[in-house]
Amino acid sequence: MSGPTTAAGGASPGQHSLAFRVMRLTRPSMHADEAVLRLHPNDLFVGEDLISDANPHVPSNLLDLASSDSSSAEGGEFDFRKRLFIDNPTDAMGLSGFLLLPQAFGAIYLGETFCSYISINNSSSYEARDVIIKAEIQSEKQRFLLLDTSKSPVESIRAGGRYDFVVEHDVKELGAHTLVCTALYNDGDSTERKYLPQFFKFVVANPISVRTKVRNFKDNTFLEACIENHTKSNLYMDQVEFEPAPQWTATRLEADEHASLKNSKIRDLLKQPVFIRANGGICNYLYLLRLHELGETKDDADTVLGKFQITWRTNLGEPGRLQTRNIHNNLPPKKDIDLQVVTAPSRVILEQPFSVHLRLINQTERTVGPFEVYIISGSSSDDRSVMLNGLQKLVLPLVEGSDSINFDLNMVATQVGVQRISGITVHAVQEKKLYDPLQDIEIFVDAE
Amino acid sequence: MDPAVSPTDPSPQPDPLSSPLHTTSSQSPISFASPDDISPSLSSLLSLCHRGQWNLLLSSLPSSSPLSHPPHLHLLHSTLSALSLFKLRRYPDLSRLLSTLSPLDSPQYHFQSYPSIYPHLSGSFVPFSLRILHALLPHRLGDRPQTLDRLYDLLCLCRTHHWPHRESHVLSLLFAHHFSYKEYDVALSLIQEMLEKDPSDPVVLSRLGYLQLQIGDLNGANSSFQRVESVIKEAGLDTDASKGNLIGRNKALGFVVAKDYTSAVREYETCIERDSADVVAVNNKAVCLMYSRDLSDAVKGLETALERIPTVAVDETVVVNLCSMYELAFVNHAEVKKTLATWIQQVAPDDFDPSCTRI
Repeated sequence: MSGPTTAAGGASPGQHSLAFRVMRLTRPSMHADEAVLRLHPNDLFVGEDLISDANPHVPSNLLDLASSDSSSAEGGEFDFRKRLFIDNPTDAMGLSGFLLLPQAFGAIYLGETFCSYISINNSSSYEARDVIIKAEIQSEKQRFLLLDTSKSPVESIRAGGRYDFVVEHDVKELGAHTLVCTALYNDGDSTERKYLPQFFKFVVANPISVRTKVRNFKDNTFLEACIENHTKSNLYMDQVEFEPAPQWTATRLEADEHASLKNSKIRDLLKQPVFIRANGGICNYLYLLRLHELGETKDDADTVLGKFQITWRTNLGEPGRLQTRNIHNNLPPKKDIDLQVVTAPSRVILEQPFSVHLRLINQTERTVGPFEVYIISGSSSDDRSVMLNGLQKLVLPLVEGSDSINFDLNMVATQVGVQRISGITVHAVQEKKLYDPLQDIEIFVDAE
Repeated sequence: MDPAVSPTDPSPQPDPLSSPLHTTSSQSPISFASPDDISPSLSSLLSLCHRGQWNLLLSSLPSSSPLSHPPHLHLLHSTLSALSLFKLRRYPDLSRLLSTLSPLDSPQYHFQSYPSIYPHLSGSFVPFSLRILHALLPHRLGDRPQTLDRLYDLLCLCRTHHWPHRESHVLSLLFAHHFSYKEYDVALSLIQEMLEKDPSDPVVLSRLGYLQLQIGDLNGANSSFQRVESVIKEAGLDTDASKGNLIGRNKALGFVVAKDYTSAVREYETCIERDSADVVAVNNKAVCLMYSRDLSDAVKGLETALERIPTVAVDETVVVNLCSMYELAFVNHAEVKKTLATWIQQVAPDDFDPSCTRI
């Protein structure tokens, strides 16, 4: 099973004495022998109810009393009873501990370690001398030298001999990669240096995707992460750690232990491992994040919450590691100017002026202003029931960064009943910026 | 439980027992006090099974039992034929054979239906393995869900009849099946059931460790292997060769995980010294040698094992590993594998699967 091979011709004419054989060396697998059926001899030769309480006179070791010639006089025949008969029923589990070599090149994913056995064979009848071997991985952007015997060339690879090496490379880029193996050598009596290049191409894909959702609720920020497995193997989540940014602490929230495990005799042995099924399986994680210092606000819309470090494993602990990009808090963008109501009367008298006390807060660092405050009429052609009394535009001076200014609006109501003051708008003159109107204020207008 | 019906078979041989109350006056009563009552040729049948001579067994069994054969013997012959066909991977033929049988729960397979032949016996004389073959067949013919349904039904049957060994057997078959399909969560719950019954079985505990290793749960595997060691030591069995080797092989796997192949090889060598027929140690040692860049010795290790301990080394897993090594070691690996395949054919039992050489 050497990898997908695209062998390129050598630079020199004539047959090559040497050839590369390559095998990807992921870790071996534990193998379950499911194909060979094993039975208890009683279950083959004896009726299922024969040896039972219903038939007390039948000896329970009935079959053992039979004689069978376990050795044969004829040469070449062997006793393969272990392929058929078991004494202990659990031996049918088929998992005797055999290790199986990787049977296919397989897919390669970002975060894994690419490991390969490279054997350079001399299948000719000539000796190959002064062999300079190089192995290199080329990705779209970079080259990684894995092996180079230039400084101490292999003196000789005899006819029928081989020179082996194992290379490893941590895969950190996506896309097309090529393992380039080259050998430079003399063979036979020739002084001509022969050049043998061989190329093995593979593509690196993304093993997992991490989707996150941030929810803010009072002082708590909840971070949900969903990890999806795009590989063809089940991935054991050895480590899924959220590393919060300095101003945050993170606590993982986990589900309660499964009811079936609570009373189990072997509870300590069987904590269900978290593994994500191949081809689209998912697993969800939930974290509670809190700011360290209570004084700090979450108002910074650009807050970095932190990132995930993920380590997964497959057969015999074959590891893969990735970390996510920074995950951001998704607060709505902070306004630079905030207009707030300080006090407003809940009850006013018809056609009698009243004041609404407001505050304008500059939430930026820089000085902003001057400002104009006025009421923007709504789209309906109704008469405004509550209007500014006097000048229809109030001018406010500059406000320094992180400072605020209090002011009053003098107003009068022209209709009785429950009315709304709406459309109070701030306009920053120099910046030529019109801010969103203040939310409606409800008042009750009484007749005299 | 209905046997599979093969629609392509033009005229299946009917089961002679389907006619009611089949008795012969020449048949003397059977009590099963001695194994000869099972079959007059029991020793030779056992021999053929031991040697894996399924073709010979199939041809030596009568295709239709003479009237002098008691009913249980007829069914035994059908069972042995069925097993031979299964072992030889002749699944359509097995399907045809099973279709000639009546439903396995029918009274004609009960001792009490033939009081003159089996005067003091009651219950079913269906060999349990016939039920297993009937359950496993659909999967081999491409219908996995049917096999799973039948196996889980069989599990219920074992629980209803209070057959603890057969229940363990079916659980084990299910485990092997789900594991081979990489359904490790199911495999885990099955092994959990087995361990609830006996939390101190070191072999099953070791298998839990192997499952955890295959999943990638290294801490879990480590705990399981430590538990195995303490259970064996508490029972005072650590001087026993097979238990000592179990501990040794588990330790070696720990080294394999850590990529310390030298220590793993050393551990396996200790096992082989204790028991030269420990084929798992021999196989795994060869795998470790290969990971240590010593392909030549790895190949030699497996080739020697095939010659020295063929009754355990002629195994599809060992041969697959050796062929993988050949493909890496030799440019002309096709020739080398052919030589191996020819040798195996002369030595192996009839049920050895030659496709493992990937020729």
